[in-house]
Amino acid sequence: MRRKRPTVVCLAAALALTGCSAASTGGAKGGSALTYLTFETPSLTATFWNTSIASAEKKVPGVTVKKIVAPSTDRDAYAKQLQASGQFPDLLQSITPSTFATAGLLKPYDQKWVNANFLLPLGNAYKGKVYIPPTNSQIIPEVFYDKKLFAKAHIAQPPKTWAEFMSVCAKLKAAGVTPVELGGGDPFSASMPLTGILSADVLGKNPNWLKERYEGKVKFTDPDVKAAVGKYRTMVKNGYFEDGALGVKYADSITNFTSGKTAMYMMGSWFLGAVPKDHADDFGAFLTPTEDGSLVVPFSVGGSMAISAKTKDPAKATAFAEAWSLDPANYKALIEGDGAFPMLKGKTLDDYGVNVTKVFKDSYSYVTQQNTKVSSFGWATNDDSMPSGLNNAFYAASQALYSSDDVDGQLAKLDAAWDSATK
Amino acid sequence: MTTRVRARRGDPALGAIALLAVGLYALFIVVPVLMSAWKSLTNENPLLARAGFVGLSNYREMAHDSALADSLGFTLLLAGAVTVVANAAGIGFAMLLNRTSLSFRMMRTLAFLPQVLSGVIVGFVWRYILARDGILDHVLVSLGIIDKPVTWLGSPHLAALSVGIVSAWVLTGFTTVVHLAALQSIPVELYQAAMVDGAGRWQRFRRITFPMLAPGTTISVTISLITMLKLYDIITVLTSGGPANSTQSTALYIIQLAFTDDRYGYASAVAMLLLVVSIVIALSVTALLRRREVDL
Repeated sequence: MRRKRPTVVCLAAALALTGCSAASTGGAKGGSALTYLTFETPSLTATFWNTSIASAEKKVPGVTVKKIVAPSTDRDAYAKQLQASGQFPDLLQSITPSTFATAGLLKPYDQKWVNANFLLPLGNAYKGKVYIPPTNSQIIPEVFYDKKLFAKAHIAQPPKTWAEFMSVCAKLKAAGVTPVELGGGDPFSASMPLTGILSADVLGKNPNWLKERYEGKVKFTDPDVKAAVGKYRTMVKNGYFEDGALGVKYADSITNFTSGKTAMYMMGSWFLGAVPKDHADDFGAFLTPTEDGSLVVPFSVGGSMAISAKTKDPAKATAFAEAWSLDPANYKALIEGDGAFPMLKGKTLDDYGVNVTKVFKDSYSYVTQQNTKVSSFGWATNDDSMPSGLNNAFYAASQALYSSDDVDGQLAKLDAAWDSATK
Repeated sequence: MTTRVRARRGDPALGAIALLAVGLYALFIVVPVLMSAWKSLTNENPLLARAGFVGLSNYREMAHDSALADSLGFTLLLAGAVTVVANAAGIGFAMLLNRTSLSFRMMRTLAFLPQVLSGVIVGFVWRYILARDGILDHVLVSLGIIDKPVTWLGSPHLAALSVGIVSAWVLTGFTTVVHLAALQSIPVELYQAAMVDGAGRWQRFRRITFPMLAPGTTISVTISLITMLKLYDIITVLTSGGPANSTQSTALYIIQLAFTDDRYGYASAVAMLLLVVSIVIALSVTALLRRREVDL
C-alpha cells in the first residue's frame, strides 16, 4: 500500500527552502553538507561536539556538517521523530542500531575497516553487520562502594558470592549505614540492581537467553528469572535500599553516594566520570556477585555514529564518520567525563592523554582481561538488544517490584509486552 | 431588526471570516482526526516507509491491553476527582472574591495565575516543591506535622494524589473565574428579597446562588473534564507517568506507543478511543447539567 504524506512533503519543501535538508550536495564550494544528530551531557558539551566535528571536517575535504542536538539524551526517540517528519539525519550519534537497521534506515560499515581498527569488531554487530563503530564499551552495572563506610562496618573485602553480598549489606545496616543507593525516581536508574542480578544470574548461566526469548524458547516467568528477581525483592524487604528510594532522582542518587550517605551504588560504568577527583581513592568497584562467586561482566559495546542509508553522499558521510571515530582526541572527553572504556586497537590509556582514577583503571581491567562477558540485560546494542518499547516496560517493572511482591504478575506483564512488541 | 439581518447576510466580509474559521477548523481539527481514524486501521510504523491495512485488529487488541486499561482507569479517576475538587474550590473562591474593591480585583488576577502558566512550568515548580526533602517536606517537618520527609512522587498512591492536587490547583484558577462571572450575573434583588423573607446565608446559597450558578457550572465542569481527559504536560514533567506507570495518563500512553514502541497505527486507535470517550463524557455531562439549568 502506497502512503501519501502531504505533511512530510510540505515539511521537506519548507526545509529545502531554509537550507536544512539532509545531505545536500552542491554547497557553497561544491561539497557535501551533512546533518549529524548529537546530544549533550555535562561531559559531552556543545564545545566538545563543535571541536570534534571541526577536526573531522578538516580530514574530509569538501564536507560541511550541520549539527542537530537532540532535546534530551533519548536519541532514538528524536531520530524517530525526525524520520517521521522526513528529516532523518545523515549521521546519528550513539543510537540503538537494531531499531533503525530493521527498517533499512542504516548503512553498515565496511567490515574490513572495523576489523582493522577495533578490539571487538563484532561487539555491537546486529545480524552480522556493524552499524556503529565499536569505539567504546561500558559495564552496566558495576557495584561501586565507599571504602570508608565499609571500614566503618568492619568489612575488609568486597563480596564475591551472593551470600557474602547479603552479609555485607546486613553488616552495613547494623552499623547504621544505608547499604545500597537507589535512584528509583528515574526509571532507567531504578532498574540497575535488577539489570545486574539478571545479567549475572540469568545471562551468566545462559548467555543466549535474550536470543532464545526472541525465539520463544524461554520466558520471563521461568524459574531462573523468578529466582533472580526474588533476590532483588529480598534486598528491598530487608531494607537494604534507602527509605523512599523511588522518590530519589538519578542526579540525587549520585550526590548521596559520593557524599558518603550510602555505602554501595549499582550503576553503569559511566558513573566513573562522576567519581570525585579529590577523594577518588575512597571508592572501589566490584561486579554483581553470583551464587558461586564466578565473575560475570555485564557488558555493552557502544559506539560512535550510524550512517543513514538515505544519505545522498554515502562516501563523504562514511569518510567523516570514520575520521571522527578514529580521532583519539574525541576519546578523552568520553573516557574522563563519561567513564567510557576505549576500544581502539593498539592503544593504551596513555595514548589518549587522559587523567583517570584508580577505580577507573580497575574497572577497565574487567574489559581487557579474559573473563565471562555477557550482554548487559536491557542495555545491549547487538542481537541481544530488547525490542522497541521493552526497555520502558522493564524499567516500569523494576519500579513496581520495589513496592510490590507480585513477582509473577510483573514478569507475566513483561512477557506480554515482549510478545506484543515482536509480533 | 429584519433589515439589519438582511444587511449582514449580504456582507461579503462576514462570509469570508466565516469561511476562514470553518477552513481553519477543518484543517487543524477535522482533517487530523480523519487522518488519525484512517491510521488506526493500519499497522503504520514511523520507521517504515509502507503501512498495511489491518482493519479493526488494533481495536480488537485494545480489549486485551492491560496497560491501556490501567491508563484509562487512572485518567477517568483523575478527571472525575479533579473536576469535582476544582469546581467546588472554584465556587468557594468565587464567593470569597466577589467584591469590587481594588485589592479583591488583584486577588482575582492571582487566583487566575495558575491557569495562565504553562503546564511544563507548573510541573517543574511542583516537582521542586514535592521532591523528597523539598519545600513541602521542610515545611511539614518544621511544623511537626510529619516526623520525616515523605516521598510524594516516589510511591504509586502518593504520586497519583500529587498529580491530582497539582492539576486541581491549576484548574481552580479557571473555575474561579467562570463562577465569578456567573455570580456577578445574579440579580441583587433576589438576595434582598430573600433577606426580607428571613433567609440565612446557607439558605441564600442553596436556594439562589447555587442554582443560579448552573450555566457557569455547565461550562466549567465540561471544560475541566475535557482538560483532564487529555492531560499530558503536567504529568510528563512531574512524574513521567511513574513510578511503575502508576500516573500514566492515556495521553502519555499514546505518545509512548507512537514514539517509543513505533506503533503509530495502534497509537492512533487508542487516540480514537480517547476521543470517543471524551465526546461521550462531555455530551452526557453537558446534557445532565443543562437539564438542571432548564429546571431553574
